Amino acid sequence: MLMQLTLGGFAQGAIYALIALSLTVVYRSTTVVNFGHGDFVMAGAFLSYVLVVLAGIAFLPAAVLAMLAMFVLGVFFSKGLIRPIRGGPHIGLALMCISAGYILRGIARMVWGREVLPMPPVFDIEPIFIGNLVITGDAVFIIGTVFVLLVVFFGLLGLTDLGKMVQAVYQSPRGARLIGLNVERFNDFSWGVGAALGALGGILVAPISLLHPDLGASFLIKGFAAMTLGGFGSLGGAVLGGILLGLAEQYAGAYLDSALIEITAYVVIVLVLFIRPHGLFGRKAVVKV
Amino acid sequence: MSTTMPTSRQRRLRTWAFWAVPVLLLLTPLATNAYTQFIINGMLISILVTLGFTLVIGNLGQLAFANTAFFGIGAYASAILSAKLGLPWIMTIPLAGALGALGGFLASSAALRGIRSYYLAIITLAFGELMRWAYLHTKPLTGGTDGLPLPRETMFGISLSDDTLKFYIFLAVTVVLVKATLNLLRSRFGRAVMAVRENEVATASLAIPTARVILTTFIWSGFVVGCAGALFARHVGHVFPESFGMLHLIASFAMVLVGGLGSVLGAVLGAVVLTALPEYLRAFPGMEELFFGLIVAAVLVAMPLGLASLLRRLSPIFVERYYREES
Amino acid sequence: MTELLHVNGLSVRFSGLTALDDVSFTLQEGAVRAVIGPNGAGKSTLFNAISGYVTPTSGTVHLKGQELTKLTPHEIAEQGVRRTFQNGGLFPELTVLENVLTGLHAQIEGSFLDILLGRSKALKSEAENIHRARELLKLMSMDHMADTRAGDLSGGQQRIVEIVRTVASDPPVLLLDEPAVGLSPVARAQMMEIIHRLAGEKGVGILLIEHAVELVMAAADRILVMAAGARIAEGTPEEIREDRAVLEAYLGHS
Ligand SMILES: Nc1ncnc2c1ncn2[C@@H]1O[C@H](COP(=O)(O)OP(=O)(O)O)[C@@H](O)[C@H]1O
Ligand SMILES: [Mg+2]
Repeated sequence: MLMQLTLGGFAQGAIYALIALSLTVVYRSTTVVNFGHGDFVMAGAFLSYVLVVLAGIAFLPAAVLAMLAMFVLGVFFSKGLIRPIRGGPHIGLALMCISAGYILRGIARMVWGREVLPMPPVFDIEPIFIGNLVITGDAVFIIGTVFVLLVVFFGLLGLTDLGKMVQAVYQSPRGARLIGLNVERFNDFSWGVGAALGALGGILVAPISLLHPDLGASFLIKGFAAMTLGGFGSLGGAVLGGILLGLAEQYAGAYLDSALIEITAYVVIVLVLFIRPHGLFGRKAVVKV
Repeated sequence: MSTTMPTSRQRRLRTWAFWAVPVLLLLTPLATNAYTQFIINGMLISILVTLGFTLVIGNLGQLAFANTAFFGIGAYASAILSAKLGLPWIMTIPLAGALGALGGFLASSAALRGIRSYYLAIITLAFGELMRWAYLHTKPLTGGTDGLPLPRETMFGISLSDDTLKFYIFLAVTVVLVKATLNLLRSRFGRAVMAVRENEVATASLAIPTARVILTTFIWSGFVVGCAGALFARHVGHVFPESFGMLHLIASFAMVLVGGLGSVLGAVLGAVVLTALPEYLRAFPGMEELFFGLIVAAVLVAMPLGLASLLRRLSPIFVERYYREES
Repeated sequence: MTELLHVNGLSVRFSGLTALDDVSFTLQEGAVRAVIGPNGAGKSTLFNAISGYVTPTSGTVHLKGQELTKLTPHEIAEQGVRRTFQNGGLFPELTVLENVLTGLHAQIEGSFLDILLGRSKALKSEAENIHRARELLKLMSMDHMADTRAGDLSGGQQRIVEIVRTVASDPPVLLLDEPAVGLSPVARAQMMEIIHRLAGEKGVGILLIEHAVELVMAAADRILVMAAGARIAEGTPEEIREDRAVLEAYLGHS
């Protein structure tokens, strides 16, 4: 039982980690929190549905295509709608992200209405039985994909020159501008990466859940909860926070009350912000007068 | 560049107009059918929702998204108090306001613990969704997904399902709350609210208790929006959890922005302009979301100060001042 | 002359860094005391500690014998110690008049309920204070700017409005953090004139942080010289001019 829950928690948590990580990528480079990110996740799921079910493309190339399309969308969003209001108040940026989310959601609902779409299963892997433990193909695929992606992501960031440059920008955008980096383009690129990674979260859940235009809202909150738990703005914290949240949901649902699965994320946000606002792994912000 | 302030003649005209407009509105039921009356009633509710929201995000400058939660709390409070405790609906309005104010108090307690900016946005968003979860999972009280119908009731021998009677009550509540909010804004309190937005540190150096200003603004915002919730419960006659979700939130944002952040006149304009249109879109799934999303994006890029700023350019009579010289 | 402010052994430590190290002095009614020292000497930290923005690690601050040390910034301001900010503390979106009125917040009568209901008690006090604010602006020849957005003023005008706002409530003690920085020579002279008048005519005790040495020498009765958080000299302008330690530690560099 405990093992089964843990496995399930890891699979869910991997998705949350991905979403929190993609939110953090955008936040770290642009200081904008994408309040419409849930709908980017939803858009990723629907795009893969269109490509697989309607266009008849195989799942893997479809997933890559969907991520590319979302990358482009993220870049255009940054160029067309974020840049013009960058100098303005934070509220404007937050609202812009929210409205982008609603536009995506409105489009999805116009096309699919109130239908709920099932995606055909794509992971034709036989479940493995170890004692009572059932390891499903989905779980293996999700955890495996996210694991590989994280290794690649943090590898690029830590080991390559490009990654070191990105870290330098995170430390000091002004410094980056001084050494001649085009920060505007870097921000556009970050929006693209954030959108594509978020979309991957949607693509991974698509085959194991029903698709509907509102599926993004809960993922947004889970992403926030993971970020808050891990320490807002920390890349590693986002990943750990996501996994912990996935586990917490499974345990709370099984040992306390199944209705609690839905609100674990909210409870986590409220508790963390009230008790330890800088999260488990983040550092306390210092306010200077 | 000095702003041209309204002359004293223009100020008198404005005071006069403030009372003349609702008096003229008293006549509207003569010219409307049931449907348009219903829409106009909805506008009055939107005015209050937008007013409460703009106070927090515009005047106080806090990224707090709990407005929809206050609205839901007010509506459910009104429905539960009338349906389960048999209170006359009219009496539930101030009680719904009080519970909305309690919601405001909770939201501000986050702001006062130093949870600001994006954190405040996230925690208040979570608050709203938690409330929706609560409506769904306290079935004996709220009816869960089936919602909660308000009982039939009469006032002065007229059924409360009558839109004309509702209009007069809604109008009275709206005028009182808008006037009270204007009184607040055009006083030391209103200036302190905006001072906190502009520079909280400097505000405290002027012997202004910033924490109390933040707390009070949230509480008043919650009160106004809670009262609006009570009106809404009677307006639709049956409260459902879906009415208090993200769609309501984006609609409120759009109204605040289209009218002009932090402007009372803007709250009224935004609510009036944006309440009627979506009614026609409701038949097409997704159109409402697309519409509000596009409106917000367009306003942010092209007209960040909203309709109120256009009017201000037309005549100083529309310039909002945050002090009161007369009397 | 009565003693207004009494600062005794004030120290502030920020995780390892001693920003303020055992500083003591007094401030008399109508006196101007300058605080000088190189950047990072701890001058602003001294102001922050007195006005309640940072909690002193040790030491006390008294105003007319009453302890301020444990009070919050708005309580200290209400007791009568008011300050300006090094980077300017005006509210840019409010008009000049509205800015000055925020300085009169605690003077305006009427409870929240009075205001909400528009009761005449609140309205009357509001009108009186608006009148007062306009008078204050007139004294500084700023009355024609009353309806200008504060953010649209020139740097010098902003500094002056900030001072008008800070002294509007007639506080006995004023802390000015680099009020003349970035001003033209004419505006600087005007600023020093204002400071002189406040001290001379109204008897305000003024603590002044200022970099321009010639201004300090002309305006101050006594000077406190700081370096690395500690007081290195104290005395009249003449004494400071002669002080070797000061010459070496501070004046020598600039
Ligand atoms: N809130 C704070 N947290 C940490 N260090 C601070 C803080 N405020 C000031 N300091 C440090 O204290 C020292 C004194 O700063 P400050 O009082 O601003 O100097 P001055 O005003 O004399 O230029 C500086 O080294 C500064 O970095
Ligand atoms: Mg300083």
